[in-house]
Amino acid sequence: MATAQAKVAPWPAIPTPKPEEVYAGLSDQAKEYPLFLESIVRQEHNFEKPEALSRLRVLDCSTRMMIGHWCSSQLAELGAEVIQVEPPGGDPLRKLTPFGRQEYMFEDWETGEKVGGQFLHEMRNKFSITLNLETEEGRRILKDLVADADVIIENAPPGHWDEWGIGYRQLREINPRLIYCWVGQCGQWGPAKDKPGMLDPVAQASCGFVHGTGDPKEFGGQPTRSALWMADHVGGSSAVLGILAALLYRENVSGEGQFIEATAAEAIIRILDYSWAWYSMDGSIRPRYGNWDLAINIYAVNPCKDGYMMVGGGHDRLWYRIWRTVGNEQPAVEEDILGDPHLREVADRLAHDMQVKTYTMLGEWLKDNARSQAEAKLGKQQVASGGVLYVNEVAEYPHFKYRGHVAEYDSPHYGKVLYGTTPYLQHKTPGRLKWLGRPTGYDNQETYRRLLGFTRDDFEKLQKANVI
Amino acid sequence: MLLICPKCKTKNFLDPYPFWNFKGKTKCAGCSAIWQIQTAGGAPVSGPVEASGTADLLPGFAERQDYSPISGPGLTRPAPRARKESVCKPIPIKQNVRGKIIAGYPLKKDDLVGSKAKFMVTGVR
Amino acid sequence: MATQPTSKAQSFEDFCRETFNPKKEFGKPEVLKGYRVLSCTQYILGPSCASYLAELGAEVIKIEAPRRGEAMRHTTPFNEPFLYPLSKWVPERGTGLGFLGANPNEYFISIDFHRPEGQALVKKLAAKSDVFVENYRPGTFDRWGIGYRQLKEINPRLIYCWLGGFGGWGPGRVRASYDILGQAQGGNFGMTGKQEVFGGAPSKHTIWLADYWGGMMGATQVLAALYWRDHVSGEGTFTEYSQVHGVTRQLEYALPLYGRHGITRERWGNWDTQLCVHGIIKCGKSSYPDSENPQEMEEGYILISAYEDKDFARLCKAIGDTTLATKYAKADIRVKAESQMEIYPALEKWAVDKTKEQVAAVMDANDIINQPVWNSKEVANHPHWNERGAVRWLDDPTYGELLHQAPAYKMSATPPRLKWSLKPVGADNEYILGKLAGLTRDDIKQLEEQECI
Repeated sequence: MATAQAKVAPWPAIPTPKPEEVYAGLSDQAKEYPLFLESIVRQEHNFEKPEALSRLRVLDCSTRMMIGHWCSSQLAELGAEVIQVEPPGGDPLRKLTPFGRQEYMFEDWETGEKVGGQFLHEMRNKFSITLNLETEEGRRILKDLVADADVIIENAPPGHWDEWGIGYRQLREINPRLIYCWVGQCGQWGPAKDKPGMLDPVAQASCGFVHGTGDPKEFGGQPTRSALWMADHVGGSSAVLGILAALLYRENVSGEGQFIEATAAEAIIRILDYSWAWYSMDGSIRPRYGNWDLAINIYAVNPCKDGYMMVGGGHDRLWYRIWRTVGNEQPAVEEDILGDPHLREVADRLAHDMQVKTYTMLGEWLKDNARSQAEAKLGKQQVASGGVLYVNEVAEYPHFKYRGHVAEYDSPHYGKVLYGTTPYLQHKTPGRLKWLGRPTGYDNQETYRRLLGFTRDDFEKLQKANVI
Repeated sequence: MLLICPKCKTKNFLDPYPFWNFKGKTKCAGCSAIWQIQTAGGAPVSGPVEASGTADLLPGFAERQDYSPISGPGLTRPAPRARKESVCKPIPIKQNVRGKIIAGYPLKKDDLVGSKAKFMVTGVR
Repeated sequence: MATQPTSKAQSFEDFCRETFNPKKEFGKPEVLKGYRVLSCTQYILGPSCASYLAELGAEVIKIEAPRRGEAMRHTTPFNEPFLYPLSKWVPERGTGLGFLGANPNEYFISIDFHRPEGQALVKKLAAKSDVFVENYRPGTFDRWGIGYRQLKEINPRLIYCWLGGFGGWGPGRVRASYDILGQAQGGNFGMTGKQEVFGGAPSKHTIWLADYWGGMMGATQVLAALYWRDHVSGEGTFTEYSQVHGVTRQLEYALPLYGRHGITRERWGNWDTQLCVHGIIKCGKSSYPDSENPQEMEEGYILISAYEDKDFARLCKAIGDTTLATKYAKADIRVKAESQMEIYPALEKWAVDKTKEQVAAVMDANDIINQPVWNSKEVANHPHWNERGAVRWLDDPTYGELLHQAPAYKMSATPPRLKWSLKPVGADNEYILGKLAGLTRDDIKQLEEQECI
């Protein structure tokens, strides 16, 4: 990790462009449609509009994994009242920080409590209460909370909550409208079901994703995990689909909730496109192909003058335009490619040998072009391309700043925090951020009072008994 | 980087990832001459200088000036493969790994009922 | 099949096995029965969004270019496997497997959007639909008279769902996008892959992550919009999803870290930046030394997870390394970069003469969490995924028996399900256009000859 700079410049370092600059020189007709879109989806208008899920109450009891927190974030950003139910002392995820560096954590101005960026980034629009489910009293309180909740999310080891008497089978007796969602890595049942302590990338490794990512052995590579707990994100999004589907069915038809199970591994299995059918057709085992593609050429990321560059163009029209762009600076390269009978047919370009030639020759041009230069030149020929951007570049990219992909939240607890905004842009009920970050148990007093009528005495007693 | 062998003019494709910043020996797939080269950022820094011994890394692929391909064990690095053999052309497949029929091979208009193969409808191949 | 439960935990597992039984899905109701979705989409981002609705029982109508269909039908790994026919007009060609998984359960019609007769047909269908999904360049459908502004006049309850790379407004609005371009520009590409210090390079995620998961995010918006329409407002809406935006949303601690400390999150390969031991190591031996398939001839890899102090102590005992146990007993020491650079090579040294199954056996015997890195064949054949129905043998009515992915999540009362994988281009022209647009067989024949449909 690079060492911290002594002083960090405020964000953005370069001002965000204004609409007048972005659409300068365009005819009224040309800018009419994008301006229409801006009028209906710009995030500045968010707080004038209602929220789709504002009638929903969600209890997020998941701990340690991202999958449950990602799931409840999606609901929270769309307006649900999400209460994160944490063990006393907080979700252990709060303590994670890169390489254990305490100085990278975010400190609450009032209490001095520290939280790591991992947890902070996903603690959005949510209340925090503490509840010790290891105690019988704690579980009784949970049952009281569940009586008027719409959704509960938990990721305890399979069967754990059922043993405790707060599993689906028990809670549905208390509240038949409850949508009960278990999330995990591999599942509550089956020969390879979840064990306590399993975290992503267990899911990534178990579903074929890791095996298929990275350079092939022939390029000196190895199976590679995502930097992120990515399977948790995809699994969490699947869980959201299940929860919203259950909500629709309850409201449309049945008046009842149901049991939902979402695993990180199966969400990835769902999206591993052709791996399963290909195997079943002729026994093929999907190989790694690095940053090239088994099914499309040109469609790859390759090194360039100042980093790595993605260029895409799977069919003839784009193929010739790419080489025309290259030919402006390296005519011999374009000539060679156009003269090669083995590259004439689109389908013939997929063979590995042809891909080696294609990208080696493209590399002759990429070595002289930085990412922004390559993109501009290819863009003139309407070829889609772009550089691999690192986080500092993503944060400063004019298009992303303009659209608000990255924003800064001024937290009353933690000060200014840079974060990735919700992509739920909509005309009528857009997603939005209300707050980012919440100290452990910050909402205890108010939440227990308004939901369960706890007095100050009740509260003190339970805190002393380590139930809250 | 494209390495045109100074001796036999074979085009050796030194593919981007392993050869972008490379210092060592490679071998011409056309005439087996060993070349010492150094690259930085995909561009040649020094060489090719003829050397002896064995190559550190073989080219990804090679072809002669008339586009005829050269590849194989000891000449170029092997391709990643999904099976023992690699065909890279449409493969007609009539049954799957469990021996059940599938419509994995080209059909003619006479073979169809609506948009399906006849044998899928009647169950007879 | 279920044995007598001997403990409460086992009976819970059997309860789950029965509740989520993949063989019992078809007896249960469907959430989106009676809802209709038009999918005017190509590639993966748009189609997958509509497919998550098709899994829940909506009648999803996929609209493609006549005869040859959309571009994704023409992609397949190594140009080898295809499913025939591509369409009844082009039976000598097939649909490539790149198309597989993005459009299950759907009805397939073909319409040429460029023609006024085509646009009129789309309007007829949209008048009767609940959801309209498209991922063409921003403004294209508006120009053709079938954009949000026009369709909401015909059908104010329509949910108009646009998905794309860079969005329809802003400096980059004209840029076309692909999945890996979204990964590259959104930021998850640059932080994945071998560490820079070990000479590594950024690595893409092997799946169309930005597109397939982006489709889930799009479907999330649609389901929320349907709920809001049907139970709160009665109104349709327009949703915009940019897959690059989605990738940036996913970056975990990277943006807060950069904003506060100016530090750019770097690649950390197969290890974890926040927990140790929690990484993937190489095992020296292949699990299938006699196989002729190069994928099986490679050595194996395995994830070892022992990040709590007591688990790490047990791990060191299992591999007989007391030095490691003493030096790195505490988590806050272990997680440092320098420590990891010593710990993982030591684990790999121990595993250098073992297969991943042999390593797993030692870990299991010592109660240490581990997960072998399975290839696609191992996953396809694994009893866990097959029992759960995550991969299942689908008897597809058009193409025969395929091993196929199943919906990503399970529901006890109204499970999503897999009906068929895909169909040839225009396979349902007569059925859908007859049923919904009132076209006679002669009308359809004429339009097909003109390649209007």
